[in-house]
Amino acid sequence: MSSSTREEVLRHLNTVGQLQPALHKQTHAPAPTEIDHTLFRAYTRTPHDVGGEPDVPIVYHEKEEEVWELNTFATCECLAWRGVWTAEERRRKQNVDVGQTAYLGMPYYGRWLMTAARILVDKQYCTLTELHNKIVELRARAKSGQGLGEYLPAKAK
Amino acid sequence: MSNKPHYDRTHHAKMATGIGDPQCFKGQAGKARFKEGDRVRIKDLPDLFYTRTMTYTRGAVGTIVRLVYESPAAEDEAFGNEDHSEWFYSIVFPQKELWPEYSDSFANDTVETEIPERYLESA
Repeated sequence: MSSSTREEVLRHLNTVGQLQPALHKQTHAPAPTEIDHTLFRAYTRTPHDVGGEPDVPIVYHEKEEEVWELNTFATCECLAWRGVWTAEERRRKQNVDVGQTAYLGMPYYGRWLMTAARILVDKQYCTLTELHNKIVELRARAKSGQGLGEYLPAKAK
Repeated sequence: MSNKPHYDRTHHAKMATGIGDPQCFKGQAGKARFKEGDRVRIKDLPDLFYTRTMTYTRGAVGTIVRLVYESPAAEDEAFGNEDHSEWFYSIVFPQKELWPEYSDSFANDTVETEIPERYLESA
């Protein structure tokens, strides 16, 4: 346990435990010289690798999947069946590319759903303009009272 | 006509359909460098952008209990690169090796996890 790698790894785990998601009201852009190796590694780590990070206990809530969550899962599995992504690409996008604040701060299936949209744009199945236009269209439809199709209440199935 | 780059979205499905993943990579990794029973240390390779080799295993020594399958490493597969497969090993670590403060009352506790060959060196 006294190897320099183990010392670095354990120091790293303690450093990232101090990086908390935050809503910054002003930026604190550091000068490059303020980022030493320890801090660089903490900032660039993959946020899904939480094993060993110090944290406070959280309350465990027993909760069934909601309908939209099950639909999100099915959508993402269909994207896999059709070869749009592998499970590893999906995990990379939904657990790592989103960054630590979103990884810890967004609901689990919220990240799945965001990632399903993201892969379609990234691999050019649709343009971001098309996605934005669709969002605008659906917002208008919902506002007009027409609804978005079948109503899916946000509650357990 | 569109001048977009063409991405073959079925390239992975073509390999895996009717066979399974990781079974579709069987035989592509060549000779395994390690065998069951070998003691190995986990290299602290870069973790920039993606890895599935947990930080807490890096620099620690464990024992190979099984060669599990051949597959592209997560670092490649996560970006759609499936050209290079390597052996994955199931490795057992004593908890005391991973966590300095782990209680002596549970000195026999272990963790078993799968790690690709690129991370391993003889210990």
